[in-house]
Amino acid sequence: MLGLLCRIYSVMLYAYPREFRLRYGVEMQQFFHDRCRELARAHAGRGAWLRFVLRNLSDWIVSIVRERRALKLVQEWAVTILLFLFVTTSMVQAYVVPTGSMENNILVGDHMLVDKVGFENGGSNWASYVLPHREVKRGDIIAFRYPEDVRQTYVKRVIGLPGDHIRLENKQVIRNGQKLDERYVRHSSPGIDDYRDNFPTAPDLYTLGGGREMFAGHVQDGEVIVPPDTLFVLGDNRDNSLDSRYWGFVPSNYVTGKPLVIYWSYDAPTSDYVEWNFRHVEDVALHFFSKTRWDRTLKTP
Amino acid sequence: MKKLPDLLPLTAPVFHILLALADEERHGYGIMQDVARQTNDALQLGPGTLYGCLKRMLAAGLVEESDERELDDERRRYYRMTALGRSTVRAEAARLAGAVSAAKARLGLAGGK
Repeated sequence: MLGLLCRIYSVMLYAYPREFRLRYGVEMQQFFHDRCRELARAHAGRGAWLRFVLRNLSDWIVSIVRERRALKLVQEWAVTILLFLFVTTSMVQAYVVPTGSMENNILVGDHMLVDKVGFENGGSNWASYVLPHREVKRGDIIAFRYPEDVRQTYVKRVIGLPGDHIRLENKQVIRNGQKLDERYVRHSSPGIDDYRDNFPTAPDLYTLGGGREMFAGHVQDGEVIVPPDTLFVLGDNRDNSLDSRYWGFVPSNYVTGKPLVIYWSYDAPTSDYVEWNFRHVEDVALHFFSKTRWDRTLKTP
Repeated sequence: MKKLPDLLPLTAPVFHILLALADEERHGYGIMQDVARQTNDALQLGPGTLYGCLKRMLAAGLVEESDERELDDERRRYYRMTALGRSTVRAEAARLAGAVSAAKARLGLAGGK
C-alpha cells in the first residue's frame, strides 16, 4: 500500500513542468515518502489515510495549475491530461464485486480499486514493465479476466502456482502433499459434495469447457497438476464458489491486478450489480447512509 | 531582486515558511512540520504547495539554499532565510499587527475586556 502510493506519486510528478520537476521532484518524492512513513509509524487510521490522500490530490491539482499558469501552450496541458488518464486507467481500476464467492473477506457490493501494476502479468499492461512489480504468490487475492468470458472480472485466491499438485479431501485442500491451514475459508454447507469437496473426481454437468480440459490433460493420480503459465484459484466461500474446480486454470496473462482498497461498500443484492437498473440508483439515493457498510470503507481485502 | 513593498502582503504559506526558517535552516519536510506546529495543524503544506512557494521565494531572494551543510542525504536540501527574508517577515508581522489592532478597535475585541 505504502509502496504503491509512493510509486503513483512519483508518476504524478510528471504532470509538473519539466524544469520544476527536475529541480524539485526528488525532494518532493522524499517529502511524500517521509509523510507516508510518519503516518504508518503513527498507525494512522483509515480516516487519516483518506484525508492524507485527498489533501495530496488537491495539493497536486492546485500546484500544477499554479506552476503551469505561465505556460499557455496547449501541448503542456495535454501532458497533464494524458497523465491523469494514464493513472486512472492503467494503474488502478475500479471494480464492483457482484457475487459472494469470496465471503467473508470480500462482500457483494464492495467497490474496490484494483492495483494494475503490482504484478508481473505477461505484458498485458506496459506500465508493469516500467514500474516495480512482484510475481503472484500462493495465497494472494487476485482480480483476473474470467477465462470462460473475458469481459467479466473475477476475484479469487491463488491456491496453486505452475507445477503444484492440488487436491481436496473432505473440503481440506492438500497442496503438494501438505494440508493447507486456510483461516480465510468459510464453509456454508455442512454436507459433502464429492465433486466440490473431494476434488478432482470426474467432470460432471457443472464442469465448463476449461474444467473439462483440465480433467482431460492435467489430472494425475487424483491430483490436479497446474501447468506452466497458469494459476489454480479458489473462492474463500468454498462451498459456494465457481472457481478453478469448475472452469479450470487462469492463464497468468489474464491476471489484471491485486485488489488494493475497498473505497465504498454498499449492501445490495447480486442482481443489482450484474445488471444496471434504475431501482438500484433509487435505492442508493434513499439509503446511502444506512446501507453503506462504513466499517469496510478503506479496508484492504 | 524586488523591493520590500512589492512583496507584501505575503500569502499565508510564505509567511509561515519564513517563520519556520527564522531560527534555523530546515529541509522541506522539516518546514512542513514546523508550519503545522505554528498553526496548530490548521495549515498543512502539501509538497506541491511547499516547493512552489520555495521556488518563488528563492527567485525573490527571500530564502536561499544552504551550501555549508554536509549533505547527509542528497535527497534533502536545506533552506535558510536571507537578510531580505528576515526584514520581509518582520515587515509583514508589523503590517498584520497593525491590521489586528485596527480590527480590535473597531469590533470591540480589545484584549481582556
